[in-house]
Amino acid sequence: MAPKSSAVAKERLEVNEEEVLQAVVLADSFNKRFAPLTRHKPRCLLPICNAPLLDWTFESLALAGVQEIFVICRSHAELVKAAIKNSKWSKPSTGLKIVPIVTAKETFSPGDAMRDIYTHGIITSDFVLVTGDLVSNIRIDEVVRVHKERRKTNKDSIMTMVVKESGAHHRTRSRGDSAVFVLDPKTSECLHYEPVTGYPPKKYASIPREILAEHPEVDIRNDLIDCSIDVCSVDVPSLFQDNFDYGDIRRDFVHGILTSDLLMKNIYCYIAKNGYAARVKDTKSYDSISKDILSRWTFPLVPDDNHPGHSYEHLRGNKYIAADGSVVLSRTCKVGNQTLIGSKSQIADNAQIVASVLGQRCVIGAGSVVRHSYLFDGVVVGPNCVVEHSIIGAGAQIKEASRVERGCLIADKVIIGPGARMEPFQKLLKKCQDGRAEGEEEEEEEGEEEEANEDEDDEADDEDDSDEEDESEGEDSDSDYGEVEDNQDPAALKKLGPESNAIIWPEPKIDEDEDIDEVEHPNNQRLMRIGDDASDLELSDPGSVTSSESESEPESDAEDEDWLGGSSLASSSTSLPLSAPSNLVAQADSAALSEFQHEVTQSLDRAFTEGHSVDNAAVELKTLRMASNVPLRMVREAVVAAIASRIKIVEGGGLPQRQEIAAMVSRWGRLIDKIGGVDAVETIEILQEYCASSDRLPFFGQILAALYQEDIVEEEDIRNWHKKPSAQGDGVKPLASQENFQKCWTIGAHMIKQFDEQESEEESEEDEDEEDSSGVKNAKSAQQPGPVKATPQASLEVHDSEEDEDDDDDDDDEAEEEGE
Amino acid sequence: MATEPSAEASQRAVENLAAKLRRRQIVGSRETALETVLVLRQVISKARFSNIDQLVETIRSVGRKLVDAQPKEYTVGNTVRKVDDGPPTSKPTFSIAKFVSQGQPRKQATPQKISHEARGTLKENNPDDPDAFARTLKPVLMEAIQDVFDELETVYDNISKNAKDHIHSDEIILTIGKSNTVAAFLKSAAPYRKYTVIVAETAPSNSGHEMAEILSSAGISTVLVPDSSIYALMSRINKVILGAHAILANGGMFAITGSLLAAAAARAHSTPVVVCAGQFKLTPQWNLYHEYGALDFGDPSSVLGFEEGDLVDKVDVINPFYDYVRPEMVDAYITNDGDHPPSSVYRLIKEAYDDEDYEL
Repeated sequence: MAPKSSAVAKERLEVNEEEVLQAVVLADSFNKRFAPLTRHKPRCLLPICNAPLLDWTFESLALAGVQEIFVICRSHAELVKAAIKNSKWSKPSTGLKIVPIVTAKETFSPGDAMRDIYTHGIITSDFVLVTGDLVSNIRIDEVVRVHKERRKTNKDSIMTMVVKESGAHHRTRSRGDSAVFVLDPKTSECLHYEPVTGYPPKKYASIPREILAEHPEVDIRNDLIDCSIDVCSVDVPSLFQDNFDYGDIRRDFVHGILTSDLLMKNIYCYIAKNGYAARVKDTKSYDSISKDILSRWTFPLVPDDNHPGHSYEHLRGNKYIAADGSVVLSRTCKVGNQTLIGSKSQIADNAQIVASVLGQRCVIGAGSVVRHSYLFDGVVVGPNCVVEHSIIGAGAQIKEASRVERGCLIADKVIIGPGARMEPFQKLLKKCQDGRAEGEEEEEEEGEEEEANEDEDDEADDEDDSDEEDESEGEDSDSDYGEVEDNQDPAALKKLGPESNAIIWPEPKIDEDEDIDEVEHPNNQRLMRIGDDASDLELSDPGSVTSSESESEPESDAEDEDWLGGSSLASSSTSLPLSAPSNLVAQADSAALSEFQHEVTQSLDRAFTEGHSVDNAAVELKTLRMASNVPLRMVREAVVAAIASRIKIVEGGGLPQRQEIAAMVSRWGRLIDKIGGVDAVETIEILQEYCASSDRLPFFGQILAALYQEDIVEEEDIRNWHKKPSAQGDGVKPLASQENFQKCWTIGAHMIKQFDEQESEEESEEDEDEEDSSGVKNAKSAQQPGPVKATPQASLEVHDSEEDEDDDDDDDDEAEEEGE
Repeated sequence: MATEPSAEASQRAVENLAAKLRRRQIVGSRETALETVLVLRQVISKARFSNIDQLVETIRSVGRKLVDAQPKEYTVGNTVRKVDDGPPTSKPTFSIAKFVSQGQPRKQATPQKISHEARGTLKENNPDDPDAFARTLKPVLMEAIQDVFDELETVYDNISKNAKDHIHSDEIILTIGKSNTVAAFLKSAAPYRKYTVIVAETAPSNSGHEMAEILSSAGISTVLVPDSSIYALMSRINKVILGAHAILANGGMFAITGSLLAAAAARAHSTPVVVCAGQFKLTPQWNLYHEYGALDFGDPSSVLGFEEGDLVDKVDVINPFYDYVRPEMVDAYITNDGDHPPSSVYRLIKEAYDDEDYEL
């Protein structure tokens, strides 16, 4: 049985050779967009296409070969833990190790969660960070591979974000919470990240100048879906720990890292070509992701195939009916496209189900219409009801002839009707009945209704009258809830029908004083609501915004999109804010500049006289630069000038002068590259500029040589500088300095020649006296305004080359000079 | 039994394969068949059983699990059935292999007799030595599995050995998509005949590109054409040769998307349609109901890019992997077991599998 043993060995090998890939799942959303559905259940346990979101997330991770998953839970942590324990993922045969971690209630943001991860010290290598509401079929292992590859060459690339190209108007792309990515198209490094909110519409994205200066080619994109899959290195949690104010992973962390000059970390984007990934951030994306699943964008994660949990049969028109044959469809009912019907559901005569998802054991009464809605398990819709664009929690009952308008969210076990009329975008919650009236145990659904019914409140009695609605339930632990219940509007409750047990969950108040997060602003949130699209704003939603707002919003939205999508010339031309206020800006700028220059000189003076270390001086300069917001080049100019001007002029030149220069450059030269970016060509330019306009002109060659010696500039850089037209002094105003530019350029030319010859001839080391003579020659030439000589350096071994290249000429000159 | 480490290992192997099948990490009928054989071999070699029912139940439960994981890869089920049904040989082991194949003791008279014989010789459920039965049976079973394995290994050669009888000089042949079977078939005829192959590019997967490359690198004169020109070219084509994903009991087949188009065009021109497929693709299922549901649908991104955000919301796009080609559109099946018309496929299936095993 040799083949068998080899197969076993192979298997073992496979297990061993992969190192364990870890993933962190943030199973808390840190916001309340799904309230009141999430009152008794965390968002990650809400079903999407009849399977809990967390299962989809695990499936996505398992698909990517993740072996160890840490689930960070905060609210309803017990429920999450129980769900993980009971799910198929905790069976040993899946090869997944899932560890739930409960964080403190004081964890208010993903940032806090990351700090928690840091303190737990569970992360040992690069890991995948996702949220607990992810639906994805992207090969994350591929992203991890790319990330690791990059880490090998660049230790500062700490994170890779997965994004997906979608077009500006994709249904799955959140309009309320998107971002402008500035990418380097070659390396796909994310150079800048600017969060974008839909309301108030964001019209400008500011991009730091350095980015445009440093990168010849950038992509500025607003058409990417942020999948919120991040491959992070171990440093990421510790960076969160260091920056205690980072809250959101994108708006704070990514933006912060990219704009920081001190951290010098790089973040990359992975633009997923194949595959699907999106996050259920809000009810709108819940809607669109459900549709994406039903139209099979998430293949192979589709209901009839690899659905976490149940199996469905796929029928023409993307209809999915539970495969166990327990669904009862009446002969005259209509099931439209993009519909999923869970097992044991019953659809009565003449009922219509269009583009909706029905959970298990749902009952739709005769003549009812359910459109674009999501009914969780055990929802009962009576006869002649209409449900549109809504999400209805498990066990809810909608009695006959009720109407649920678009955008409603109805929490678990709410009963409304008969004849209820719900306002659009109303949110209902079951009233608490403490220990009164319920004794009778619910329908048989109850057993399977997950953990929700373990909560302290019990099923309400159907016979409750509407007058009981107003009673406040004093001992509810949740103070929020008490307040909500106290402030009910009896008139509105009346509309919910005589048998209703619901109370209305209030719209979040717009408190002007409060410092509210832009993204969470109610008007912005409207862009993230199910069934809420800009086109019907005036029609369907007079309640939540003032009329002027609702009228202006669609326009501004359109404008916003146009600008960001770059499709409208008009808006983009007006949006460049350079023309009008430029004078004022210029004045303010020049003032700031002069102050900066002053500061820099002082700081460098201090550094030089007090002998600071290069690192300290660099930090000081960086801080200064950020404080006055000046381009990097200016700092570099200041540093180069400071170094050059501090070189003592040694009388008689020669070797001592050269040593002086070398000492100075070796002590301070590194500072040039430490100030926040390496651009050797620019350094040479600046040096040239400085030398050309000061009395240090004769030292140009020697300083350049010293910089070369210190590896601050490379041969390549000198060549590149030399090729530039500006190096010859093109466009320099005063004629005199143009001449000087020219001289410097000639020196450069000589140097390059030397490089060339060095390469071609491979010469042996030369002796000391050669240096001497050349040094003398240099010193002399320094005193002469005449033609500047080539500046040979010890390292470059110029003697021979000079002889080779322009033998007579040079010798003559030398003779001449020495003669003098 | 489940607690033993060896059983656990084989359990894991099964789960592994099931997960891979579910996630479409293994696709292609031969590939899946091979993987299934390997897993079954592992399971059987580790399994402990003291009577035939236990063994059969083990094999079946594995089979069920794998088939549930990916009901649309028909060869998984076929392979399990085949292993269940060791190939008949004339050796004395015949009766045992056949016995195992029958799964449960049969109701019919003859097999019942065999099983009694087997019972007599094998001393099932021997309390003194519970492993004795397994010890005697295992080598036989392993041999049977090896036979199935060998068949899969050699299937291309066996199919293509008669290729030159089907392809004549100066013929123009149309094929579609990339099928290893068809490629092997065409290649094996190349040294003897000079003929031209027209390959349709087979959007949206465009696997025809790959196929054309394979054929032209084998020295066959190959033309790659867009799918839209299949009908226009059909009048010049002598023969359509297709691959299959699964051959159904009624003589129809599932094949790569576009096969139906090619077959329909061929029918309009009365051009013969020949299908090359290994026997392991014979599936004892009928496609009378749920014609649509039996097909497999991929994600629409290769038809309509996800970046076409505007459109995605407004149109429903479907991207089926396979077409169902009705039996009357196929003229002959070339298998590793000879050539057959669609009307006799049911006979082949009856020979290949046991009636009892149709339902795993």
